[in-house]
Amino acid sequence: MTTVTADRRRPAARAGGAFPGGRQSAFGRRHALTILAFLAPAIVFVCWFTYYPMLQGARMAFLDWNLWDLTSTPFVGFGNFTTVINDPVFPTVVANSVLWVVGSLVPQFLIGFAIALGLRKRFRFRGVYQALVFFPWAVSGFLIGLLFRWMFNAEFGVINDLLMKVGVIDAPVPWLADPSLAMLSVIVANIWYGVTFFAIMILAALQSVPDEILEAASLDGAGKARQLFSIIIPYISITLYLTVLLRVIWIFNFPDIIYAMTGGGPANQTHIITTWMINYTQQGNYGLASAIGLFVVAFLFVFCAFYLVAMRRSSR
Amino acid sequence: MKSTRLTIAAGAGAAALLVLAACSGDSGTGGSSSTGAEGGDVTLQMVESLTNPARTELIRRLLDDFESENPGVTVELVSPPTEQADRTIQQMLQSGSGVDVLEVRDITVGPFSNNGWLYDLSDDLADWDGLDALTENARAVAEGDGGSYFLPYGFYGLSLFYRTDLVEQAGFDGPPESWQDLLEQATAIQDPANNTYGYAFRGGQNANSNVVVAIEAYVIDELDTENAFLMEDGSTIFAADEAQEAVDDYFALFEQASPPSAVSWGYPEMVEGFTNGSTAFLLQDPEVIATVQESTTLTDEQWDTAPLLVGPTGKAAQPLAVAGWGVTEASEHKAEAVALVEFLASEGPATEFAQANSLVPIIASAADDEFYAEGPWTSYVTMTENPDTYVNVSQPRGVSWWTEWIQKSDQEIQNVLLGNMTTAELLESWDTFWTEKYAAEG
Repeated sequence: MTTVTADRRRPAARAGGAFPGGRQSAFGRRHALTILAFLAPAIVFVCWFTYYPMLQGARMAFLDWNLWDLTSTPFVGFGNFTTVINDPVFPTVVANSVLWVVGSLVPQFLIGFAIALGLRKRFRFRGVYQALVFFPWAVSGFLIGLLFRWMFNAEFGVINDLLMKVGVIDAPVPWLADPSLAMLSVIVANIWYGVTFFAIMILAALQSVPDEILEAASLDGAGKARQLFSIIIPYISITLYLTVLLRVIWIFNFPDIIYAMTGGGPANQTHIITTWMINYTQQGNYGLASAIGLFVVAFLFVFCAFYLVAMRRSSR
Repeated sequence: MKSTRLTIAAGAGAAALLVLAACSGDSGTGGSSSTGAEGGDVTLQMVESLTNPARTELIRRLLDDFESENPGVTVELVSPPTEQADRTIQQMLQSGSGVDVLEVRDITVGPFSNNGWLYDLSDDLADWDGLDALTENARAVAEGDGGSYFLPYGFYGLSLFYRTDLVEQAGFDGPPESWQDLLEQATAIQDPANNTYGYAFRGGQNANSNVVVAIEAYVIDELDTENAFLMEDGSTIFAADEAQEAVDDYFALFEQASPPSAVSWGYPEMVEGFTNGSTAFLLQDPEVIATVQESTTLTDEQWDTAPLLVGPTGKAAQPLAVAGWGVTEASEHKAEAVALVEFLASEGPATEFAQANSLVPIIASAADDEFYAEGPWTSYVTMTENPDTYVNVSQPRGVSWWTEWIQKSDQEIQNVLLGNMTTAELLESWDTFWTEKYAAEG
């Protein structure tokens, strides 16, 4: 352990030896300025096109800012935030958002993992099969939503037609019109859409697991399940943690499918926080929409902080 | 050392360029400001909002005609996808980024003009010889109320699409004339076991529109036609006694003559339900005529249109929706932009556009055109010829809370359909909403 530390320190010591005293710091300053000069365009770009609009958006959350009437945009303090919280739809939206993330994420993860494991082994036409599996990820979420809207249509949709033909149901099920089924329907569409991402990420991670380790484990008598839980999963755990974190953020911020399939209906029963926010932007009420946006940012910030801490503890 | 300075200078220069490019917003994108200054020619930027490929192609062709009639003027057409168009246009207008001509609708004219984004055409129209060729309705829209902010290209008026064969098989002599007739005929035709439904009920997006039309037909004798959400005494139509009967009849259509999934039916499902032959009645704008004509399931003999349904006193309120072309206040080439808008509203281009997009025309002489004298268009001629029965009314679509109203009313209609709300509660909620909004406005 001591040796490793010493080795790691060696290059720094060498550098100090080559450029003693003031020359080293002058060199460092020149390099810093050069680096800054090259970074400046990117920094300006990001500040101007990302952080400036974000700050403007955050400012709107404290104004009565309605695009349909910009003659007066008074400061309203936390008024927009209290309006959002006191809205009778708010509890439904929060509950739906949690259901949307958990209900989509868990099956996406499990199915994606299974597909990745299947694709890890070489077989004939694996490339074609991979391309077919990964294809949905290249399609717009809104388009996927429109396709599933028709597939779930009670009278003209293929899903009811198939279920009736195989005798599972004997009358059309109003998937998108029944509040108890509508959320399930949009989640099914999202699962189908998102499985691919997990499959891609996990497959990439699986390909980094050395075959020698698995062969050695096999020789030591470890079965497939033991190899999976004791070698493969621990080996790719960082990738899994980060992929899950990314997907939580993305699914939480992914209104496309719901918006195309139900528009948040029937009677607000499929609204998640981002579809609800879009509703306010369509009303031109950017004040309320921005307040909801800040809620989303705050929630995801806290979630990411806890998640990363938990991840660090678990990987120790 | 030299090279370090050079890199710093290059980096700083690039950063400065970026900042300048970002700050100069409209100089790159706004055709109006750049091209005009350079060569004496003028480039107008025009934005449409109800985009579809065939329509865009037609507009482009009309713009080519305009360009050939006006040498030195070039028109660039921007066609954002329909779902994002309104937001894109709002952002362009807010940033003042070089839009000269834009599509203006009855739901956007109020907010856009309030924000000072639209140019008032009143002075220009005083000298325009095309004004006399317009229909009475089109002229009223063009001249505006307190300012002339756009010239219409056509109207969207409701009529009843119906299946001639199903109506006959059910034992009726002709299509329904009133809402109560519709309920009777649709109920008789309803046969879910054979995948046949009476009425394409709108329960999803924009469900409110048909409910309001039904209420207006029931209260029409005391309706304020200039603001068809109010009665002549200033109270809302939702507080009128007749409104309760209207909504009860209307929602009975869902209970007795529509599929349960119609709770979530929007425009595409309604039109699909009619064109695939499973639904007997559909209340829609004339733009659907072209879609139904393309149906491979229905023959021309199997369907027709009938005038809008009347209420108990034998009258209907036709809430003509309208859209057209306007000029932005920020345009640097207003004369050319106004000339373009006037060209598009003139006899030839306006009639071609209205026919291609199945719109009620803005040109008075177009009614004599054979195109409108036969087939599904005859119901529109009937309505035009009987203005005392089919009364044209204006809805307050330009108010700043119109989208809020649409969303609220649509959600509450779904609550009624799902049994979470009564029709009386619905009317009370709507009455409170409009009363409070108007009171707040003063």
